[in-house]
Amino acid sequence: MLAPISFLLLVTLSPPQDVMARDRPNDNGKEISVFWSPSGDTGVTSYRILRQTEGQQSWDTVGMVGRLARSYADTDVEDGVRYRYVVLAASETETAESEPSDYAVSTPQWFDTDRIPALFGVAIFTFLIVLATNLARRNRNLFIRRISGLDAVEEALGRATEMGRPILYVPGLSSIADVATIASLNILGEVAKKTAKFGTPLMVPLRDPIVYTVAREVVKESYTTAGRPDAFSQDMVFFVTTQQFAYAAACNGIMVRDRPATNFFIGMFWAESLILAETGATTGAIQIAGSDAIHQLPFFITACDYTLIGEELYAASAYLSREPLLLGSIKGQDYSKIVILTVIVLGTMLALLANVQVLDWFRSIR
Amino acid sequence: MKRRIPLILVLVLGIFAAIAFVVPHPSVRGVDDVMRNDVLRIIGAFSLVLGVGSIIRHHYMKIKRKAEHWPYSWVTLSTLVVSAILGLFGGIDPNAPGVLFRAGGVGQFLSNFHMQTLYDNIMVPLAATMFALLAFFMASAAYRAFRARNLEATLLLVAAFVLMLGAVPLGRMLIKPLPAFAEWILTVPNTAAKRGIMFGVGLGTIATSLKIILGIERGWLGGGGS
Amino acid sequence: MTPQTGREKRGFWDRLLLVDRRWLYVVIWLVVMVPMLFPFDIKPEAMPPVRKLFEYIDSMPEDKSLVISVDYTPDTRPELHPMAIAALRHGFATKRRVGVLCLNTVMSLGLAEGALRQVSEEFNSRATTREDSIINGEDYVFWGWSYPIITVLLGMGERITRVFPVDYYGHRTESLPIMASLKNYDDMGIVVCIAGSSIPLSWVNYAHTQFGCQIGCGITAVSAADFYPYLNSGQFTGMLAGMKGAAEYEELVSEKMVELGYEWDLPRKGTEAMSSQTAAHLAIMAFLIIGNIAFFITRRRKQ
Repeated sequence: MLAPISFLLLVTLSPPQDVMARDRPNDNGKEISVFWSPSGDTGVTSYRILRQTEGQQSWDTVGMVGRLARSYADTDVEDGVRYRYVVLAASETETAESEPSDYAVSTPQWFDTDRIPALFGVAIFTFLIVLATNLARRNRNLFIRRISGLDAVEEALGRATEMGRPILYVPGLSSIADVATIASLNILGEVAKKTAKFGTPLMVPLRDPIVYTVAREVVKESYTTAGRPDAFSQDMVFFVTTQQFAYAAACNGIMVRDRPATNFFIGMFWAESLILAETGATTGAIQIAGSDAIHQLPFFITACDYTLIGEELYAASAYLSREPLLLGSIKGQDYSKIVILTVIVLGTMLALLANVQVLDWFRSIR
Repeated sequence: MKRRIPLILVLVLGIFAAIAFVVPHPSVRGVDDVMRNDVLRIIGAFSLVLGVGSIIRHHYMKIKRKAEHWPYSWVTLSTLVVSAILGLFGGIDPNAPGVLFRAGGVGQFLSNFHMQTLYDNIMVPLAATMFALLAFFMASAAYRAFRARNLEATLLLVAAFVLMLGAVPLGRMLIKPLPAFAEWILTVPNTAAKRGIMFGVGLGTIATSLKIILGIERGWLGGGGS
Repeated sequence: MTPQTGREKRGFWDRLLLVDRRWLYVVIWLVVMVPMLFPFDIKPEAMPPVRKLFEYIDSMPEDKSLVISVDYTPDTRPELHPMAIAALRHGFATKRRVGVLCLNTVMSLGLAEGALRQVSEEFNSRATTREDSIINGEDYVFWGWSYPIITVLLGMGERITRVFPVDYYGHRTESLPIMASLKNYDDMGIVVCIAGSSIPLSWVNYAHTQFGCQIGCGITAVSAADFYPYLNSGQFTGMLAGMKGAAEYEELVSEKMVELGYEWDLPRKGTEAMSSQTAAHLAIMAFLIIGNIAFFITRRRKQ
């Protein structure tokens, strides 16, 4: 019917069948998916996808895919315009063209049904957290297991005060978009309140300029909350550089020259973790690390005195502030973990059982 | 009031971001994209100015006060100025010289010093050197701190030992199935532990975000208080 | 044991525990540097992923070509360049047609050209007949670099000469004899992508998934964990991971060359580096052992 290219060729190749075009579901528009059944010929090297806009005569090639592909995503479409497609099977010498598909229109959707499971999970989790915080409001004596790294904070601060040496707080190298950084800034708030109380000098070098502005406000607010706004100095929190290893070098320099009595490495770290922690160890500082960067944890565990592993980092600000509402949320996390563990165990059991031959009999009943 | 405005902003924007997660329509996703990319980039640019101001202030104060190690502050400030001048006026790479080096004479001589030159000849080797220090620090950490203090530490030690031996040809020469065992440690117990930690981290991340959005966690506002 | 000797012994372990760490740094420096200058003979035995890749290339039909995608840059050269050299030697020694390209970045062009020049020279300097020599355009072709990646990957499934109308040296690819029997993925036995980035996955996504072409990869040791899932699922035929992978493959190729009568004993950078790597690993393990013995002896004394 509408042979754009191939009408001049002697067509012996069998064309692709059942070409179908439809709007891609759950997206923000501007995309149509094209599907087809393969040409029966083994000589096919690739498929080319041609598109026609309704009301126009011309067919444009919009893409090409390999011979094993069965679908194509056309992302160069306008919403609300009707398009139809033809798929061309090509061998080295010939092409064969399918019948055109029905018209398809791309539209943006208001709800992403693919994300229902995630939404469901978040809803359950939110419910459990809210439930646990409400329980915490009534029962103020919640049990939280001891986290020795956090118990040591007080001791470490006391030691620095006695020795008259500063405290170094490195809130990771990531940006503010990383929740580990935010968790670290929450801990920084608690640490700063204590340094304000003890009058211990605090140093917070930063790698990300946005984190720098936030950290400065956090420390300033903590000093105000602790009733020592006068003790806060702009020099405590300072930006260093955005370069990873230059930043590590700067922190090493601070550790070697100013000999802080306590080093905190809390947040997101990469390859510089051991470089920082070992240098700190050579200066004889007490070191408390905390990260959810799984690959860096072994380094911190080896080279630091205390390490907060994974979620302990997120529990830290609740643990340090002892605020019942925050402690309650940790309980909420524990309940969620029970839910997840139950699902994993059930799922694993079902998956294992699915391979048991006897069960085929049950399946055959269906 | 000073606290209420940030709390309201966080609540509104946090809920909006959660909505944008499930609503792909451009009228919502588009705004979300603008917030995530453009707004964040603008804030980033301004905070970089504050950051540079912070460096200058920090080191200027040190020099002024003649604080301990103040001469190093001169090094920082002068390199900051030199690289800023090269970056602003010197051009990015030798094929596209900036205004500073288009003139002849001294400019001609200096035309070898571009941002790319600085990067290739100073930044890259220095970063590589810092990275290479890792080998030395690993050795000293292994000697100094990697101890079989208790059962867990002993397990960690044995696992590290097996993996290191399995990673070199000698391991297979000594014990034939060692490399396979090392790989098993890496792919089975190690992955299992990692996933366990990741579950905790994932939940912790959601909980922290929730607490901040709902205003329960106020550590970032100086903590405490209602 | 008299109390006096006991005290001396304890003193020794105490001193050992408190040794200045700069001595440890010196030891590490020495164990890396000395074997680099005077490598000792340590023969790596090939692990399954390496063996699989080697055997696949070795046993593929004679009319199939070996294609090497050189996608690493100077920063990962020490780990990955030996792989490219060994793969070229393997291809040339087993008389396969070899195609070389750079998919990722122009920064790889110099490295690919250098590897081709070195290995073709190794063969040609010892060749006595046309059979033994390696000729550009007949035995191998270097297509160079083209852009964008997806167009290259898909286009090569149809006709390589359309994606690369001229080769790296400026010859029209249509006019090269080798191209008559190396038209598209059907003529390729395997593509070995050597890269410090995730570009081997692009080969899997397009050339393997859409055209059924076999893909092997050579990657850095740090990134190996990211590639294992694709190896286990069979999307990669084989994998060379890091310096050790390079050394294992070099040894297999070297044995094969001896078997085919090429007893040249060519330099093998990966294998040579194994000496340094082994020595460094052993040194760190020795530190672990000594540190722990000292720790236990001094702790017992304190108790």
